Amino acid sequence: MTTATTDLNFFQVKRGLFSWIFSIDHKRIGLLYLYSLMTFFLVGVTLGVLMRLELLNPGKDIMEAQTYNQVFTLHGVIMIFLFIIPSIPAVFGNFFLPIMLGTDDVSFPRLNLLSWWIYIIGSIMALSTLVFGDGPADTGWTFYVPFSVNTTTNVTMSVLAAFVLGFSSILTGLNFIVTIHRLRAPGMSFMKMPLFAWSLYATSWIQLLATPIIGITLMMIVAERFFGVGLFDPSIGGDPILYQHLFWIYSHPAVYIMALPAFGIISELLPTFSQRTIFGYTAIAFSSLAIAFVGYFVWGHHMFTSGMSGTGRIVFSIMTFLVAIPTAIKVFNWVATLYKGSINVQPPLLYALAFIFLFSIGGLSGLVLGALATDIHLHDTYFVVGHFHYVMFGGTGFAFFGALHYWFPKIWGKMYNITVANIAFVIFFIGFNVLYFPMLVVGLMGMPRRYYDYLPEFHIPNMISTFGSWILVTGLLLMLGNLVAGLFNGKKTGRNPWNSISLEWQTPSPPPLANFDKLPELPEGGPYNYKND
Amino acid sequence: MEHKNEQPNEAQGHHISSYKEHFSTLAALLLLTVLTVAVSVFGADLRSLSVATALLIATIKALVVAYYFMHLKYEHKLYRWLLLVVVLLFVLFLVVTSIEYLNR
Amino acid sequence: MEHATGLVLPNSGHNRDAEASKMGMWLFLFTELLLFGGLFLVYMVYRMLNAEAFLLASFELNIALGTINTVVLLVSSMTIAMAITAIQKGDRKTSVLLLYVTVALSLVFMVIKFFEWSAKINYGYFPGMEVYQNLPAGESLFFFLYFFMTSLHALHVIIGAVFIAVVIYRTNKGFVTAEKYTLTENAGLYWHLVDLIWIFLFPLLYLIH
Repeated sequence: MTTATTDLNFFQVKRGLFSWIFSIDHKRIGLLYLYSLMTFFLVGVTLGVLMRLELLNPGKDIMEAQTYNQVFTLHGVIMIFLFIIPSIPAVFGNFFLPIMLGTDDVSFPRLNLLSWWIYIIGSIMALSTLVFGDGPADTGWTFYVPFSVNTTTNVTMSVLAAFVLGFSSILTGLNFIVTIHRLRAPGMSFMKMPLFAWSLYATSWIQLLATPIIGITLMMIVAERFFGVGLFDPSIGGDPILYQHLFWIYSHPAVYIMALPAFGIISELLPTFSQRTIFGYTAIAFSSLAIAFVGYFVWGHHMFTSGMSGTGRIVFSIMTFLVAIPTAIKVFNWVATLYKGSINVQPPLLYALAFIFLFSIGGLSGLVLGALATDIHLHDTYFVVGHFHYVMFGGTGFAFFGALHYWFPKIWGKMYNITVANIAFVIFFIGFNVLYFPMLVVGLMGMPRRYYDYLPEFHIPNMISTFGSWILVTGLLLMLGNLVAGLFNGKKTGRNPWNSISLEWQTPSPPPLANFDKLPELPEGGPYNYKND
Repeated sequence: MEHKNEQPNEAQGHHISSYKEHFSTLAALLLLTVLTVAVSVFGADLRSLSVATALLIATIKALVVAYYFMHLKYEHKLYRWLLLVVVLLFVLFLVVTSIEYLNR
Repeated sequence: MEHATGLVLPNSGHNRDAEASKMGMWLFLFTELLLFGGLFLVYMVYRMLNAEAFLLASFELNIALGTINTVVLLVSSMTIAMAITAIQKGDRKTSVLLLYVTVALSLVFMVIKFFEWSAKINYGYFPGMEVYQNLPAGESLFFFLYFFMTSLHALHVIIGAVFIAVVIYRTNKGFVTAEKYTLTENAGLYWHLVDLIWIFLFPLLYLIH
């Protein structure tokens, strides 16, 4: 079996730009996503910091009201469609799903490359609104009618960009589902798959079945802008709330497109760093499917104040509370995994613990919003902004960076500086809470979201929040700087620097082109039972 | 859940539908089409039931197409389960939305 | 595919896997179902809100032409199903012939659709035209949905026809054989979906009297 090329890893087989952007190797495509995502993420962060800067003091600080409207819309569009929806599935899903299944690629490698290209085209379209026409949309990322139909800003382009990005998301989901069905290693049944694969499976179904709805809805917005037919205009029998229904039929499940892969990551991190198999494998696996299914029917909780019928509100509120059950099942099982484990405190574990803490705050504040009575008071206040940043950034964002720290030595075969990573984590974590916790408070006080100005009594919390954004960015830059430094000067690592007990660590780091240098063997008693000497 | 260990496999061998089977399928579909048009044109006294009848016949036609033309009948049962879940999901979208609108 | 390491995994993403292609096609069809599903949802809500207007507006549509088109699509569904049977039996000539018939029927469908549309446009029912703007509340929504749904469907007819044309080309080149006919099967699945959508569009738009 040994040939002269045996020792080459997937970085070394081919070199040059074209060997990357036209590669059909799932590992390279995952990294392509990583590099492009991080670029857009930094653009989004910059916009966020600018918004916080504007809100440092009441009145105008650095930008006009209209500019602020466009900045928060673009911040939302970039962070949602360009960063967080593709984030974990497209980067780590692409890189690790085939490895975790014990195969050499996804089922449709060329389709995989196509979906990256579609993603890039969509991203360029979204960013092109900065330069063309009357500037980026000023509708908020939700593109609510009738304003999105009437405004002169570049809504059409933003909407088309979201449509194109949806395509990329569908293709990735389709690819993963077929891969999981067809390419598991011989002997690996569904119940022997790593939990990350399970979470990707549930996510992919949402991507597949929810995204088409937003596609057709956005097309209706475009038709509306071209023909001006008043499709959602009550005077001719239409209903503007129907647009919100259609939008959230996709966009609420999309929240689980963002959250479920993060759950999968946490389920991978905890067994490794507590050195024991996951507690409640079956419960965690099926709760992903349960969340995906129930998550389809809670979309109305975004619209409690928009004029829905009372019965509709009650139904949606009850369904919303139901989602808490499978989510709590996961949290309890994670905590139980840590119990009596031999805990090895490393940067990825810190991110995982922070995830559990922050996501719980996010989830519990979500219950406050899911209850009808309290939502009337809190709807469209900064409490909502605080809530979804805790869920999306504190949840998915922290899981993303945790995964980056966890799999860094596997992907590049080098180790970053652990001490610096720990320090960066602490700064990042403190900054995060200083930034977003005051938002919950100021929201309870009644400060509405989406204004560039506020009443003087909200000054202090807003100031604290802006300081927090600086701390957060400091931590973020330190973390990324440390990782980049690790890329160039990091110490070489072996197969399994974390002493992990799961499959992807059995192969060399970085993996060879075919992912394995020996046939992957499955251990007795589930996927988290690999023995290390 | 719907799929445990059995995976659809090429080794199962493919069913080859006969030309005759396709002819009979088409005949059934045409018959249903005639029926649905007739109900609509001549059966105006059905009132609110006419939409229900039309949708019922359409659903039967769709099932015939899926089962015989699309070979769903001869596929691994995974495909029937998946289709069921997808259709169920969509029907529930419709149900939940109508609950909202009917109670306005 | 054999990799540089010389290790060949039994379950490789680089192996030809007919079942995977078919599964991928089915999943894609699910997304198509939900794409149209969004429109059906809009239709349902607006019909609930404007029952009378939808009824009146639907009288403007031509049941005869709608029925003929339904029959055309059903027959084309059979011909492509037969094309699969033919290629499975190794009868390449019949398969190609049946595929040609299917494409021809798709053209018939489009021509009839064209005449239907132009009749409606002559009356001024197209979104944005003067008659359209002055239609009673609800009727304009019906015509918007009529044009939006039928044109999206027509787009799928065209894509399907192109897909089948590709299959004809590949079959003639000998890439599609009695052992390797996934391409024909997938084109068939796609074409049946076009038929399925029409099976629901037809009664909802033409027959709701």
